[in-house]
Amino acid sequence: MRATKKGPKRTPTVAIDPTGVVFDLRELTVHDGPGIRTTVFVKGCPLRCAWCHNPEGLSPEPQVMRGAAGERPVGRSYTAVELATILNRQALLLGDGGGVTFSGGEPLMQAAFVAAVIDRLEKLHVTLDTSGYGTEEDFRLVAGKCDLVLFDLKLMDAEAHRRWTDVDNQPILRNLAALASMKTEFIVRVPLIPGVTDTPENLRAIAQRVSELPKRPRVELLPYNRAAGGKYAACSLEWHPAYDENVAPQANLKPFQELKVEAALA
Amino acid sequence: MKTMETHLGGNARVTELSPRLAAMKQRIRAGEQRRLRDTQIVEVQPECDAEGLSWMRRAARQTSRMCAAQTVVIEPDERIVFTRTVCKVAPLFTEEKLRVLTSGVTLHELGPISNICADWGMILTQGLMGRKQVALATRARESANTEAVEFLDAAIETMDAVMDLARRYAATARQLGRQDVADVLERVPAQPATTFREALQSLRLCHAVLWLSGHYHCGLGRFDQYMWPYLQADLEAGRLDESAAEELLAEFFISLNKDSDLYPGIQQGDNGQSLMLGGMRRDGSNGVNPLTAMVLRVARAVALIDPKINLRVDRHTDLDLLALAAELTRIGLGFPQYANDEVVIPGLVAAGYAEEDARDYTVAACWEFIIPGRGMEVVNIGAASLPAAVDKAIRAGLAAGESFEKILERIGADLKAQVKVLAEASRKLFLPPAPYYSVLMDGCLERGRDLSRGLKYNNFGIHGAASSNAADALAAVKTLVLEKKIIPADRLMRALDTNFAEDEALRLQLRNDGPKVGNHDDRVDALLVKLFDLFADACAAAGDNGRGGRFRAGSGSAMYYVWLARGHASMREPVVGATADGRRAGEFFSSSLAPSPGVTVSGPLSALQSYGKLNYRRVCNGGPLTMELSDSMFRGQESTRKVGMFVRAFVQSGCQQLQLNTLNVDTLRDAQRHPERHKNLVVRVWGWSGYFCELDEVYQNHVIGRHIYGE
Repeated sequence: MRATKKGPKRTPTVAIDPTGVVFDLRELTVHDGPGIRTTVFVKGCPLRCAWCHNPEGLSPEPQVMRGAAGERPVGRSYTAVELATILNRQALLLGDGGGVTFSGGEPLMQAAFVAAVIDRLEKLHVTLDTSGYGTEEDFRLVAGKCDLVLFDLKLMDAEAHRRWTDVDNQPILRNLAALASMKTEFIVRVPLIPGVTDTPENLRAIAQRVSELPKRPRVELLPYNRAAGGKYAACSLEWHPAYDENVAPQANLKPFQELKVEAALA
Repeated sequence: MKTMETHLGGNARVTELSPRLAAMKQRIRAGEQRRLRDTQIVEVQPECDAEGLSWMRRAARQTSRMCAAQTVVIEPDERIVFTRTVCKVAPLFTEEKLRVLTSGVTLHELGPISNICADWGMILTQGLMGRKQVALATRARESANTEAVEFLDAAIETMDAVMDLARRYAATARQLGRQDVADVLERVPAQPATTFREALQSLRLCHAVLWLSGHYHCGLGRFDQYMWPYLQADLEAGRLDESAAEELLAEFFISLNKDSDLYPGIQQGDNGQSLMLGGMRRDGSNGVNPLTAMVLRVARAVALIDPKINLRVDRHTDLDLLALAAELTRIGLGFPQYANDEVVIPGLVAAGYAEEDARDYTVAACWEFIIPGRGMEVVNIGAASLPAAVDKAIRAGLAAGESFEKILERIGADLKAQVKVLAEASRKLFLPPAPYYSVLMDGCLERGRDLSRGLKYNNFGIHGAASSNAADALAAVKTLVLEKKIIPADRLMRALDTNFAEDEALRLQLRNDGPKVGNHDDRVDALLVKLFDLFADACAAAGDNGRGGRFRAGSGSAMYYVWLARGHASMREPVVGATADGRRAGEFFSSSLAPSPGVTVSGPLSALQSYGKLNYRRVCNGGPLTMELSDSMFRGQESTRKVGMFVRAFVQSGCQQLQLNTLNVDTLRDAQRHPERHKNLVVRVWGWSGYFCELDEVYQNHVIGRHIYGE
């Protein structure tokens, strides 16, 4: 039928059926990879990006969201077999070029689970949407099973990265290098946060890093999501972005063009 | 018209209206053409009474008087002319006389034949003179058959009236120095059309006279099939280029919006000016042609509620075409509506249609499948209330401590009883003579028999309405009351009788814990399938409809999602109070095929999978799966194309018909507060699109309350 003829090998090697926590299974997503897709939002993330628009994906545990429409449990456990069965049932509808995307949260936080699900998928194009943060072993395990990786690159300056996301960017840059040495197709995505990631210095540094990779990916600049703060209160979290949301981010493609890196505003 | 850059990818492109047409559209939306209308009432009764005319001859006289009363209107910038100036259709009889004449029979809705589709291709190729020759030949052959002679004379009177109207238009055009308009109208509709412009003008006039004759829900059929030969010839001969062709087509589409406020319907916009594109030809080959995409481009540029576009699809339909179609959805027109050839055609064949006719299907006003020129079908004689059948069966069955199987038997029996009532009433249906419409149908003039006496296909359609609520209620009882025994039957009965007034906890439990249609959950989907099977059994058991046809089961709801929940004066169907799916009395039911209002659904793919399970070979009357997509779905370059991919998923799912709309609830709420700011805001209501601000509040609120799938 489609894509996986030449795609990565997926073999359910072991009989174990790990369990994972997912906070949303969204059908007909159109911005998470090629074709029409179902996106699995895996719960739990090691990063604390100031602009995160999925705060219910931060904690790895199931929780309750309290909104205007009442309470809603968020986060459901699935075994890999259960989740793969649900996704495989949609294979026919996802058709040529569509498939499944693992997003989050951070899928690498539940790498063994995600890998076990992917191993059980039939005839489906698989995309990993990741911050790139995780051990190289986990990263290679999951990315190696995917047809496409959407790799977020936020800030090149180590200190700024710690300040805005709470974590070091070294593992991310290491995994980016690993990815460039693998066969998996990938796209680098830069979320444009006004005054944070959209500075000329940061975009230039990202362009520089990408241009030095052995395999040059395409770069997509993602527009700022003005609804980012919407769900914090419902998660009993506070939303105080230390940047000005009302400033339009600079979608500056010049640094990329100068280094002949293919880039576009998504 | 000018081609613009597009974000649709592939070879799909879009166009925009020329300044001339933009101005024309604005005038028509502002209603300027209404100033040309006469207040005069055309009277036909006195002369008909004086001459002692039969119903047949009165109908012809009505057409001819209505045509004659038309003032010629030729605006300086118009190329396709005709503007209606006579508002009211002349009655044939006094109300008293009509009552006497129709005692013991019933008229369908307003009376005159409606909701069928002419063989427009035949009219364009034969011309009215050609049709008149056919009538005269039959008249000579059947001269001893007084009934045939009367019908044929009446048909000839209507053709003469239309040709006379065209002559008056041509003469005025000549006087005004509009030689182009005069040249066209001196040829058509009398002669066969020879150019695209002539074909459009001929169609405009012949179609408008249907409305003038009191017919309504007058469809346009397979437009790209019968129009393409004219356009193709013009393009090949160099008489037209593509841009000039689009200009003519756009003007024709705009002209369909001139008089539509005079058309009868449940709400403004419910006028049945539906048009079908694409699909298989009669010989089984692929009918998509360059006009298919052109119609979509032009409809997008025109962006008015008429004509209402339908697109036939199968697994091979080109993605560029689907992307272009999705672009219409993106701008919020509420169409196209899609029909899956792979499901519809086998369904019609199973219902007894010849294969080449089945391949030729179009839709009636909303969604019912009919064959242009070959059907005198009444596709919406009523609806069986599935929630009422389930409600009664649950109450009786639980009270008697019966098994689930017994409850299903009760549902089957109730549906049979409901269908029987509708069927018996419909056997008394009287279809009044329709000499002008007969001119446009296959075989009437040839056989000397009026359309009302029947055509090749004479089936009636009944809809199984509010199906999702019914299946959800049944599933709640099966799982929560009978299997898991979490809810005692008497507690459920009490709560239903009191509209959950003292047991909100139970209502929430039914609402949240019962399986719901739309989630690809076999526990409830199987019951939905079963309900439609029982309904199809009931339609089959109703037998012949008295006109040589049968009763076709359908899945549409039209206005029944409101009427069955709240009652309506003109309705035979039972009204239901609170239901076992946790729905309160008076709340709307699901519309056509859609999850019950307010329930949680997994998403659009699961919904496709739920509704793909129905046995559409037995439920072939039509009635779409209806889905609203959030407008955020269309953000970004590739996403409109992806909506096209979703239509492919619809084909794969085995669903029959799909109505895709886009909604932004904030915009709709703002339109309720500030209608003056949203005059042109279009929404799909059921089988039709209308201007949101012209709808009654009850329908506005229903639109706002629908499921919206999005990111």
